[in-house]
Amino acid sequence: MDAKYKVNRLQTTNEIRPLVDKHWADLRTAKERGELVAWASGPSFIFAYAMGMKCHFMAGYAAYCGGIGAGEEVLKVAEMAGDLPETCSYHRLHMGMGEAVARGIPINPQAILPMPDLMVAGRLCPEMSHYAEGLHRRFGVRVLPIDLPAVVDMEDMPRIREFVYRQFKEVVIPTFEEVCGKPFDYDRMSEILSVLKKVATLRNQCWEFFKDKPSRWTLWDYGVSIAPVFYLMGNPAGVAYYEKLLKELQERREKGIPAIAPDGEKYRLYWDGWLPWAFLGKFMRKFIPHGAVVLCGRYPWEFFPHPELIDPEHPVETWADLYYGMESHLVYTFSPKGTVDLIGKLIDDYSLDGLIMFSSKTCRVMNLAQPEVIDVLDKKYGIPGVIVEGDMIDSAMISDAQIETRLQALYEMIDSRRR
Amino acid sequence: MEKVLSKIAEVTSDPYGYVAGLKERKNKKIIGCFPMHVPEEIVHAAGLIPVVIWRGNEPVTWGHAHVPPYDCGITRSFVDDAVRGKLSFMDGFVFHIRQCLQAGEFPFIMERHFKPAYQKILYLPAIYPGDATRDFALKELESFKTSLEDFTGNMISDDSLKKSIEIYNKNRSLMERVYEIRRAKPEILKAKEVMQIVWSGMLMPKEDHNELLAELISGMEEKSITPQKERIKVILVGCLCQTLQFDILDLIEDLGMIVPDDDLYIGSRYFANPVNLNGNPMKALADRYLTKSPLCPTKGVWDIHWGDEAIKRMRDNDAKGIISVRVKYCPPHTCYYPDFRSKMAEEGVTEVMIEMEHEIISLEGVKTRLQSFAETIGGV
Ligand code: SF4
Ligand code: SF4
Repeated sequence: MDAKYKVNRLQTTNEIRPLVDKHWADLRTAKERGELVAWASGPSFIFAYAMGMKCHFMAGYAAYCGGIGAGEEVLKVAEMAGDLPETCSYHRLHMGMGEAVARGIPINPQAILPMPDLMVAGRLCPEMSHYAEGLHRRFGVRVLPIDLPAVVDMEDMPRIREFVYRQFKEVVIPTFEEVCGKPFDYDRMSEILSVLKKVATLRNQCWEFFKDKPSRWTLWDYGVSIAPVFYLMGNPAGVAYYEKLLKELQERREKGIPAIAPDGEKYRLYWDGWLPWAFLGKFMRKFIPHGAVVLCGRYPWEFFPHPELIDPEHPVETWADLYYGMESHLVYTFSPKGTVDLIGKLIDDYSLDGLIMFSSKTCRVMNLAQPEVIDVLDKKYGIPGVIVEGDMIDSAMISDAQIETRLQALYEMIDSRRR
Repeated sequence: MEKVLSKIAEVTSDPYGYVAGLKERKNKKIIGCFPMHVPEEIVHAAGLIPVVIWRGNEPVTWGHAHVPPYDCGITRSFVDDAVRGKLSFMDGFVFHIRQCLQAGEFPFIMERHFKPAYQKILYLPAIYPGDATRDFALKELESFKTSLEDFTGNMISDDSLKKSIEIYNKNRSLMERVYEIRRAKPEILKAKEVMQIVWSGMLMPKEDHNELLAELISGMEEKSITPQKERIKVILVGCLCQTLQFDILDLIEDLGMIVPDDDLYIGSRYFANPVNLNGNPMKALADRYLTKSPLCPTKGVWDIHWGDEAIKRMRDNDAKGIISVRVKYCPPHTCYYPDFRSKMAEEGVTEVMIEMEHEIISLEGVKTRLQSFAETIGGV
């Protein structure tokens, strides 16, 4: 191992934390200001924002808890309340938080959220329904469920798009109107989408810097910058953030500054699966000393690769099309076929040397086909891959020794193929 | 009765051999339907033989390279069977990929390792409010029907579908009768035999199964039972998608308990709710899928409680406790379970949960749990 490598930290990414903190602080205090609160999973929060509600987002909350180091204690409360450790850790976090509030168990106050006036359960994954059901059964939360099927074959897309669009029009919008006591605010949804279009366009320009050799930044930087395109959607601060980030990356390019000092990376890697929010630093420390950098991934890239398709004039239609349109079809990247297509392109465009497939022990949304995906891509592109087991939040599911061994194997496979 | 039971045991002791032989004997194609919600009637009406995929009887071997250890037993066993070529007698597969995350990636694995002549993905919806849900469920079933028509080259008429539904409904009512007699005379069948009876119906053509059931029922009706000693009645709940190890069922009985009824998938859930034969058969099949009870935790239902249903079943049968059988790494059941258990506690019902893995690690742990459960409810 060569100890010479170290990270060149970006300045702009330091600005994300205050934005994110403000979002969650606003949510925590919303009820005090008499505001309505929603919780959301799947891509459903935009409807709450359009109605001026403060809204939580399931995965965003998990990332936040992981980021503030509150994950473990909240998971412990869930376990105490009977949730089983093999349950999705995002699910357990929410149960734990709800139980902590209901039973008066002290946890990090930043991790406590007000119970929602409405929970929008976008069932992209069945677990998103299970957790909403659990919250309803335990705490009487009102649930607005929407089925958002992950599509595994493009030919299935049109009829599923129709189903999803009808649910938006016939169930989601009327329910929000009832809960908020006012007509649905299509204009506000359009505004949110206009901001999103700008942010996503800038973000995609930033993404292009992964093509540089050496890369100017890492997937971890990209991952922590996700909030403005996601649960901070419609917040103009996102535009300013990405403009600044783009400028910093451009400067790096001009000055020849790589993501890792002194001369850039030795291994350019793909990362599959959710980001390990509570362990970003841990993984970074396993990459950098080897000169490895993760550049592209399936998860953070999946949002809005085609901002040009966002049509703020037709907000509800465009929202359905972003996920289920034949051109944009975000949900397809969850499927193994979609993944193979996506990673194949990434390997070519970003000069990748290897693949890390992060297999979450409590989330089975992608992990069953990961060995197959490695095999297909190895055969087609001669790129090796390894599976790294773990979890996004729960340290009990993380084995340092196993991660080290698998990563070492990957580095060695790449070296041997280079010889 | 004994003859029927031994025929049934023969089928379930070697499902691979039985189904492969069936294909030869009937000269028909076999379509494997991944449990739990594929409407087999449509496959039947297409002139094919639907069989419900099962958890195999061998430990996972090659499958280790294809499926993580933290997936449920039937997932691991099915992938293992598929990559080892043990299912080569099957002509096609149907996967309802929205019931849980495990099922979602089967089609890709199958295409790579099996290349079935026919493969269909169903996206049956959660039972959520709004007309869109029912319309979409119907569209899914229509697309299933069309795909089978394309595969066989034959149209499926409403009449032929109704005939198939009649055969399936007949099977449901016969199974219901078996359960009715068992409720009245629980000693008449061992729990293992009941599971074999249901499971054999998932493997055999329903016409053949119906004949066996008719014979079995007349035997059961005639047979008088004198309970040798007072046994403690318990209800089994859960075990989605897969057969419970017979050793565990025997253990329950060896510990002095008896099972008069169950809420298992390979049990009463499989044959619950006949399809309404009046009107459009496709709509009727969609309606059956969209029925909320018996509650299936894969269907997104929260206005009724699984715990209430289980408690009612327990009380109706004058049983003293509930044994939850949870398949390890089955998220739908695992996520529901804490609330199920709370409901038991609220209602003062004694309940125990046993975890079911594909490879039994040790029966000792299960035995200890069941023993103390039996003691609590007044058994041994
Ligand atoms: S199982 Fe995975 S995809 Fe589903 S909610 Fe949990 S983390 Fe998200
Ligand atoms: S047993 Fe549970 S996890 Fe496994 S396939 Fe069935 S529903 Fe899914």
